Amino acid sequence: MSGAADRVLSVLLLGLAAFIAVQANQLDVPFSYDPVGPKAFPMLLSGILGLLSVILFFRPGPGGSWPRGPLLLRLIGVLVLLGLYAWFFTLAGYLITTAITAAVLAWLFNSGPVKAVISGILLSIGSYLLFTYALGITLPWGAWLTSAA
Amino acid sequence: MWDFLFQGFAVAVSPLNIALVMGGALLGTLFGALPGIGPINGIAILMPLAYTLGLPPESALILLAGIYCGSEYGGRMSSILLNVPGDAGAVMTTLDGYPLAQKGLAGPALGMSAIASFVGSTLAIIGLTLFAPLLAMVAVKFGPAEFFALMIFAFASMSAMMGKDPLKTLIGAVLGIIIATVGVDSGTGVLRFTFDMPELYDGIDFVVLIIGMFAISEILLMLEHSFDKSSDKQMAPIGRVMVSMKEVLSCKWSMLRSGVIGFVIGVLPGTGASVASAVAYTTEKRVVDKEDTFGTGDMRGLAAPEAANNAAAAGSFVPMLTLGIPGSGTTAILLGALMLYNIQPGPMMFSEQPVIVGGLIASLYLGNLVLLALNLPLAGVFARVLTVPKWVLVPCIAMLAFVGVFQLHSDLHAIYLMLGIGIFGYLLRKFGFSLAPIVLGFVLGGLMEQNLRRALAISGGETGILWESALSIGLWIAAIIVMVAPWLLGRLKSKSAAAQ
Amino acid sequence: MSTFSFASLRRPLLAVALAGAASVSYAQGGKPECLAPAKPGGGYDLTCRLASNGLEQAKLLESPMLVNYMPGGIGAVAFNHVNGVRKNDPDLIVAASTGAALNLALGKFGRQYDASNVRWVGALGVDYGAVVVAADAPWQNLEELMADLQSNPSSVVIGAGGTVGSQDWMKAALMAKSGGVDPRSLRYVSFEGGGESLAALLGGHIQVFTGDLAELKPQLDSGTIRVLAALSDQRMDGVYAEIPTAKEQGYDVEWPIWRGYYMGPEVSDAEYNAWVERLQKLDEQEKFAEMREARGLFPMSKFGSDFDSYVKSQVEEFRGLAKEVGLVK
Repeated sequence: MSGAADRVLSVLLLGLAAFIAVQANQLDVPFSYDPVGPKAFPMLLSGILGLLSVILFFRPGPGGSWPRGPLLLRLIGVLVLLGLYAWFFTLAGYLITTAITAAVLAWLFNSGPVKAVISGILLSIGSYLLFTYALGITLPWGAWLTSAA
Repeated sequence: MWDFLFQGFAVAVSPLNIALVMGGALLGTLFGALPGIGPINGIAILMPLAYTLGLPPESALILLAGIYCGSEYGGRMSSILLNVPGDAGAVMTTLDGYPLAQKGLAGPALGMSAIASFVGSTLAIIGLTLFAPLLAMVAVKFGPAEFFALMIFAFASMSAMMGKDPLKTLIGAVLGIIIATVGVDSGTGVLRFTFDMPELYDGIDFVVLIIGMFAISEILLMLEHSFDKSSDKQMAPIGRVMVSMKEVLSCKWSMLRSGVIGFVIGVLPGTGASVASAVAYTTEKRVVDKEDTFGTGDMRGLAAPEAANNAAAAGSFVPMLTLGIPGSGTTAILLGALMLYNIQPGPMMFSEQPVIVGGLIASLYLGNLVLLALNLPLAGVFARVLTVPKWVLVPCIAMLAFVGVFQLHSDLHAIYLMLGIGIFGYLLRKFGFSLAPIVLGFVLGGLMEQNLRRALAISGGETGILWESALSIGLWIAAIIVMVAPWLLGRLKSKSAAAQ
Repeated sequence: MSTFSFASLRRPLLAVALAGAASVSYAQGGKPECLAPAKPGGGYDLTCRLASNGLEQAKLLESPMLVNYMPGGIGAVAFNHVNGVRKNDPDLIVAASTGAALNLALGKFGRQYDASNVRWVGALGVDYGAVVVAADAPWQNLEELMADLQSNPSSVVIGAGGTVGSQDWMKAALMAKSGGVDPRSLRYVSFEGGGESLAALLGGHIQVFTGDLAELKPQLDSGTIRVLAALSDQRMDGVYAEIPTAKEQGYDVEWPIWRGYYMGPEVSDAEYNAWVERLQKLDEQEKFAEMREARGLFPMSKFGSDFDSYVKSQVEEFRGLAKEVGLVK
């Protein structure tokens, strides 16, 4: 199995290189004052990346350990959680989303449910006060409050 | 001719002004320590306050100088403790700072970074005091062709970082340069790789890139470690908290060299702390790293970028004060502050506004002293962040990442982009890439392309312009030397070994 | 590269100053807000701060005005945001400038949008383009420069802080066109913002810089540059009084850089008119005039329908120009 991961990577990078070349080639340049223009650099990079990925294919490094099973589920869980945090950030407002996200994250990091909830709420309120009053940073209250007002 | 400095110190040591510089330094440290939130925020918020309070111009500037210095110090903390750089100049600090923390040396590492920052800043402020007007005239001689040669030199220096996996270092750098090509092409205005998304027109924001790459991927890696108890890379317990004299002395030449490098690069308009710390780190790696311990928690590998980025920060005052040209985003804000008080920066400022210039420079000296005095004893306290359990730390990192990006963009696309980059960074780290070459490629690659094309636009396509001036010839030679020297040295060594 | 970009820093950043109470913000609905479609510290920040501080000082608002940032696509992200999410927000004004009109004309805010997709409230100040050379340059006036350009357009290196199609480039292109020189035949170099271009001019890397008047004050005072022409309809006062306009030298070029505001397309007439009135009142105040001057801006005074038609005709004009030089089809 040694090197299998790097081989997969090299194929992906080769694909990326090809994609860049195609995209760069399609650029529509009205006119350019410098002889190089906007296409040359991406094309060059695509060439180098392609070459390097071919080398990687034939000389792969040792494959690392990849997450699987419950760990993979947890990783995906964290990403989904962060995605939801972003999705509801302005909709539901900073205080609520931060409290929930922080609590779930704490729980995913083995805090135990009670600690998780308490720490989430404290973090959310504490950071809100810090940002708003000490650092003058505007954080969203949430669309539901705005439309109600 | 030193009148301005004496007058400046006379102003700066009044009780009010000392209090301001201390308050500014503390607040600046806080601003700097939060990823994505930096001196620009701090200054933008406090400047109006200073104005409303009716502070005289020199006091306002002193407050600002305190914030500025403070955030330079604060930006390192998250690099060392969490492997999340607080700003562009702190990326190289993660390379040896975080391994030091993992070894249980967070306290000494923080102390060392404070000392290196102090040495770098002080060197640069001395340079600023002595040579500012002269240097400004040299700095403008640095045109696109010279910048291109400088970038070639910087990339050549990077070959020192190849280390264990040269192939992946190269691929990483190329990926970084590719990311830098996203957005409006600065020559022709053509949109590259934006896929009709206006959010991408301005390119990928550096803050979004480093917060995603470092902070989000760090959260995912921490999850792995906490899940897999057998391979849990537990941090070594916090040992000693103070940096030892021996450690400081072992870094003295690294700090001095890097301070000079940082100052010189900082003076050039258009480059900044990130380029300075990269060049300083790679130079030191070549010069002193005989045992190949850089990257594994070598104090010198921490001291070099820290001295350099602080020196660069102070160096960027040179074009601002003498020419009225801001060398970085932060000095641009300071320039605005000066003009608000009807102070026109320019060649005459040193003679016409001695109290202001002197006061500003004196407060930079004082601010750094205050910060050193604050940071050394507090290093142990800050190091305790590492004893905070993961279930408290990780939600904090996530929250800071979101707030840092949101306050810059008020826009959710930037946050999604940050998350995407985070996944990308996590995968690359799993594949055994180190993140620094990617970030360096991003920073240097854009500058390289732009300046090459500018140079050729100036010359009308003649490539001769690239090695026309003495400055660029010097840089080309330096680039060749750093590429070839290690190889030559290796050859010589093996020959002499064979001869014996 | 945007973090290192000086594009957003081309104005002297008086912006940050004087935000007053606006620095402590509460972010609830119902509070007046100015959205700067850029990062903190740039020209759009300045535009927002001008309104927020001015209105605050003149007590024309009940609660302090927030300033928020939405960088991206030289204003495109904010324009889309207002057209998508906050169409009828009566408390939101967005900073805009000549650059926004230019981008609308070039279709850079999205092909589906033009000037009629938002409501143009008014402009509080204006700056003007300038043709700048180093103090030791061979040209004493625009005519001498133009003569050299006419005989060999690529003999002079022109630089400025923007790409092809940007405001700075338009200034150079229009100047060339007014002398019968094809803009495409120029030798033009784009830098990141006015600061870098100015450094390149002082270092002798470029010979002509098409910048803005107000950003040149430090260099004018120290005598390191010469301004060959101001791209305004008449001469400015003070330190600029000696600078002739391009018009009086026989070249019909003007480039005003106005700083104004727009609102969402579905804001009611009453709310729109309230803002127009508010800005108009502010503009009449003496204290505000001082504030504007401190930020390097000249009076503009265009509001309501007057401003609306001004922007729309400007967009039309730019579109024509862009077609002429081949930027849009």
